[in-house]
Parts: sequence; structure tokens; C-alpha cells
Amino acid sequence: MSIRKQLAVMIWPVAAAAMMVAGSAGAQDKEEIVIGASVPMTGPFAFAGIQFNRGINDYVEWVNSQGGIRGRQVRYIGEDTGYDADQSVAVFRRITSSEDVTFYFGDSTAFQQSIEPELERRDILMTGASFASEINNPEEYPMQFLLGPDYGEQVGILLEYIADENPGASVAFIHSDTEFGRDPIEGGKKMAEDLGLEVATTIVTPPGSADVSAAALELRRARPDYAIMHGYVLSPIPAFIEQARQMRLDTRFMGTIYTMEQGIIDQMGETAEGFLGVMPYRYYYDENADEAPLLQTIREMHDEYQATTYTQGWVAGILMQRIAEHTLDAGRELNGTNMRKSIEEMENIDTGGLIGKKFSFSGNSIPVGRIYRADVSEGRMVPVSDWIELD
Amino acid sequence: MRIGSPKETYAADEALFRTRTQWAWFGVLLAALAGFPFVANLYWLYLVCLVSINVIAVTGLNVLTGYTGQVSLGQAAFMGVGAYTVAWLENHTGSPFPVNLLAGSVVATGVGLIAGLPSLRVKGLYLAIATIAASFILLFIFKNWESVTNGTRGIGIEPPSAFGVALENPDTFYWLVVPVTVVMLLLASNLFRTRIGRAFIAIRDRDISASVLGIDLPRYKLMSFGISAFYAGMAGGLYAYFFGSINPESFPLLMSIFLLAAVIVGGMGSMLGSILGGIFMTLVPELLRYGIDFLGLFMENASAVLSPVRTVVFGLLIVGFLLFEPLGLAEIWRRIRRFFHLWPFRT
Repeated sequence: MSIRKQLAVMIWPVAAAAMMVAGSAGAQDKEEIVIGASVPMTGPFAFAGIQFNRGINDYVEWVNSQGGIRGRQVRYIGEDTGYDADQSVAVFRRITSSEDVTFYFGDSTAFQQSIEPELERRDILMTGASFASEINNPEEYPMQFLLGPDYGEQVGILLEYIADENPGASVAFIHSDTEFGRDPIEGGKKMAEDLGLEVATTIVTPPGSADVSAAALELRRARPDYAIMHGYVLSPIPAFIEQARQMRLDTRFMGTIYTMEQGIIDQMGETAEGFLGVMPYRYYYDENADEAPLLQTIREMHDEYQATTYTQGWVAGILMQRIAEHTLDAGRELNGTNMRKSIEEMENIDTGGLIGKKFSFSGNSIPVGRIYRADVSEGRMVPVSDWIELD
Repeated sequence: MRIGSPKETYAADEALFRTRTQWAWFGVLLAALAGFPFVANLYWLYLVCLVSINVIAVTGLNVLTGYTGQVSLGQAAFMGVGAYTVAWLENHTGSPFPVNLLAGSVVATGVGLIAGLPSLRVKGLYLAIATIAASFILLFIFKNWESVTNGTRGIGIEPPSAFGVALENPDTFYWLVVPVTVVMLLLASNLFRTRIGRAFIAIRDRDISASVLGIDLPRYKLMSFGISAFYAGMAGGLYAYFFGSINPESFPLLMSIFLLAAVIVGGMGSMLGSILGGIFMTLVPELLRYGIDFLGLFMENASAVLSPVRTVVFGLLIVGFLLFEPLGLAEIWRRIRRFFHLWPFRT
């Protein structure tokens, strides 16, 4: 047999089996709660996507072992999007066309914006990786909630901390020229002024640029007490701080949620010392884990450090659970519209301590966070403030 | 076995469909397209809509790159021009969607003509770089012309409606995008039965000889850029309506490379190549998901473990096509057709 024929013979059973798989996915249990997800397990955001996926998976395993949500078992279906909005929508369509989805997890601001009308039509509640201020608007995005403070609020928490620690200090904003980077800047400037802080300068860096010497010089001219960096994950923050140190600037650098991963200490070493940032969740090694039963559960499941994006997956799960419980307890059917009502009604929401404070939603967001400082000698992030809740 | 298809007139020789069999198959295709929404679910309809949008953009690029020989990496940015024009018109004037789509294509054509100016002096890789520059300039404009594009935050667009039905879901949008794609493909195919199309091919084969033959190079090169951008503008406008929101990151340089790859994988200088390339590049990554589903029967957490493999397999398939089928998918199609034409004799 020629290779071509052999291949053809091999392909048919695979194709037939694939069709069977596709067909069987249609069968479903009515009592089941299905969580669908477009997660970026490849591409530039994979570092977070892989952890979201693991986090939600582990949460679902845990909640089912506890008897599910009000007796209903939970099933999770997450697929890779490569962090491409077209593919995110394709995954959404693929999952929703064969499953009766109650919750969905989205992977990017662009996707979460464009899918909103479809969520309303299908009555599905969504959360996800985006903390965009734009989505924190229940009028425009009634079917979504955020897993923490939006980017504007994150910057707000940082500014409140600064105003508290060093009234009248000068602040610089350094951000990437992307939708992600620009998000909190205008609001942040205004808030800084309201808090009596001086905005020393605003520096924009092109997306993905590694050479920051020009921007560092600009920072030297402004000599701010604090510099809030937003719209980056890691690069070019190390280069920036290193150059600032060489220029003998004593500016304190600060970051937002996706920058505050443990990796910043592991990869930057000494340079990371004193880096400050806002994080709405407890770190894996939090010293007050006794206040956080779910953190203890995570530690029992995994001996080694788990990323904050992994915790974010758990927070997504536990919040979906709280919202579903509230809706079912009120005797309402489990759909997006009713769950929206629950979001508005719920008070003192408890995430098993993963978010260190009980809260109510403000719009679509959870305006709670805590300031952490990178402590290189300990090799971890240590809290330097209590849990801050914005009014 | 087909014995032969004699042509008695020049018109018959140039015809798009030369035999009754071809007409019959074309009819079958149209019927299949018309029947598809009644049997497919929203996922497959979504994919067909996405494929159609990509096929329009790829066809435009094929006119420019495959038929005229001018390499362009600006196609995604031209799509952006079409998309932003549609979004602006929809939100500010409320004009009907066919007008918006046409206007988007016309504005994109204008931009394409300007972006094509370097082609009068440079070609090959130099032209590719010049079009990258155009693409960056356009992306900069999308980001910074806040009053029109709403900057990096992007714009939301209401779905179009026809006869009182909002075309907001793939099952309704299908009836807009697929007919438009068919018309755009027929127009492009017919282009190469005219002097203009033949001039493009002459320029691709040897621009100096084309010039000697009396072809006005600047005019035809720019025309090719314009037509290509017109297609991109139409694809971009449909994209804007389809996704309901656009931002500057919707049209990255990577998308231009994706479209160029579709032209090459499908077959340069072949309409069938544009279709097959668009289908291949859009659908194969999706079809590979079924492979993951299948393997998920045997292993836990297959989607997390195998997703990177899916990307690698897709890459290898593209490399494989370049190595083993440099004339693209269209050539495979021709070979299959030849096989049936000559059956029971071997080629």
C-alpha cells in the first residue's frame, strides 16, 4: 500500500471517532451547571490562561466533591483561543452550540466587549480575565462581572495608598500604548489631583518595546516619588527599574494585578526589591491562611506555590457559586438576568478568604485590593497595607 | 471520461463556466450554500461567516499579490479602514448598511491607492516593507484619531438589519455575508477575462515586457492596489458588523501575514486558491480541536496539554504545503479533477 493510501486508511477511524465525540457532547444533564471558557492556553497571554484553566478545573473538582452547588454538579469546558478574539468567539459558539451553558469565562477585553449582545440573547453570565474599566458598567455590560477592581480602581487603590503614606507626593504614570495600557490613565490623573498628589509626568511606551532608555531619561527629568506602571506584564519593567537605579533615582515603582505575579521577584532578583503593587487576592503563602479556608484547600491540593492567576480561576469559580446559590435560594431560575439581580442584591460576599475582605459588588467590579511589596530576601510579596476598599 | 470540450467562439473560450457540467456543479454549490443554514448549528454558521469574510480579504490580496505580483503586507490595515468607516457611518449618520459597506470599500480603495504609490518605484521585498510602513501608519491613526476611532477603547457597532430582521447572529448574518462573498468572487473572476486582468498578469510575469506591450504600468499597478483594498474594505466592513465592536488591535500586522499565508497556501494567481486558502487557514485550527476532543477520551485535561500541539500541527501543515504543494491547494483540486476527467485511464 502506498503511504497515501495508508494515511487515508488511518484517517477514517479518527474522523469517525471525532464525529462521535462531537455528537455525544450534545447529551446533557438538566441538573448540571456548565461553565464554558475561552482561555488562552497558547499565545502571548498563555502564562495566565494555563493557570486560569487549572484554577477553574481544580475549583470544579473541589465543589463537586463537596456535593456541587445546591446539589447540582458542575462541569467545566475550557478551550484554547491563542488570545485571538476571533478564536475566542469561535470557542464560545462551539461550546454554546452543544451545551446549555450557565456561566462563561472570557479571555480578553476585545472578546468580552464583542460577545455581550450574545450573552444577553442567551442569558449567560460572564466573567473573565479583563479588568477593563469599560466593562465595569452594568448599563452597557449587564451580563458581566469582574474578578476584582477594574484597572482604574486598581490605580485608585495605589493612589490612596500613596496619599496616605506620603501626602502631596509626586506621581508619574508609565503605560504601554495599548488599550490595556491606556485604560486607567486619564481617570488616574484626575484622581491623583483630587487626592492632592502631583502628576509629575506621563510616559507612553510603544507596545512590546524593550528599549526604554529614552523613557527612563524622561523619568529622570521628572524625578517623581512614585511611578505607576500599567499595561505590562514583566518586560520592560526590569529594564526600566534598572536604568532608574543607575541614574540614582529613588522613585518607588508600582504595578497593577498582572504585574504582581511572583515571577517579578524570581526573574528580576535584587532589582525587584521594594516594588509595590495592588493585588485583590491572597498569595499562596499568605501568613493569615487561617482566615481563608479556601486558600487552605488550595494548599492541601498543591504543595508548591500557585500563581495568582491560578487563584483568580478559583475566585471566578467561587463567585459563580455564590451568585448561583443566591439566585437559587431566592427561588429564581438560574439564568443571566436573574443572576444579574443577585449581583445587585448580594452583600458581604465571602470568597472563602481568597479576597481578604467581605464585599458587595460596585457596578460590575469588586473594589477591594491590598498593597504588597516585593521582599527579595524573603523571596515573596509581603503586604504593606490592610485590605483597601474604595468608596 | 471527458473526451473534449470544443470551443467555437472566443466568448466560449473565455467563459467562466465552459461546460454544462460546470454550470451544474455551480448550481449544486449554490443550493448547498442556500441549504446550509437549515442544517448547521450556530458554531458552524459562525465559522462559515468568518471564512467568507476571510475569503473576500484573501481574494483581494490574491488580485494584488497572486495576479499582479505586488507583495503587500497592508491588507489587514485596509480592512481596518473599511471597518472604521462602516462603524463611523453606522454610529453617526445611521445610513443603511449596503451604503456603509460600499462607502467603507471606497474609502479603503482611496487609502489603498495612496499606499500603492511606492509600488511605482519599488517591488518585491522593498514593496513589502513599504506596505508594512503603510500598515503601521494606519494603525497609528486608528489609535490616535480619537474623535473618529475612539482610540484604543474601540467602537461598538449595532448589527445591520434587513427587512426588519436584525442580522445579529451567524444564522441571519449568513444571508448577508455569503451572497456578498459569491458576488465578490464572481466579480474578481470576471476581472481576469478583461483587459485589466490580463494587464495585471502581464505585469506579474514581466513588468518591462508589459510596458513594451503598451500597458500603462503606474495606472494598472495602482488599479490593482485599489481593487485589492476595495476587497479588504468590504471584508473589514463585514467584520465590523459581524463582531459588533472593533479596536486598533483587531487588525494587527499578524493578520496581514495570515492573509498572505492564505494566498500562498491556497494558490497564488487562482480564484479557487483564494477560496481554498481562506477555508484552510480559518478552519484547520478549528478542525484540529476535534482531534483534541478525540484524544480527550484517552487522557485527562487534554485541552490544556494538547493546545500548544495544535498550534504546532497547524504550522507544520503550512510548511508541508509549501514544501510538497508549492502551487497550493488549488493544484491538488485540479489534480483530483483531472483524475475524474481521465478516469478510468491514469494520468
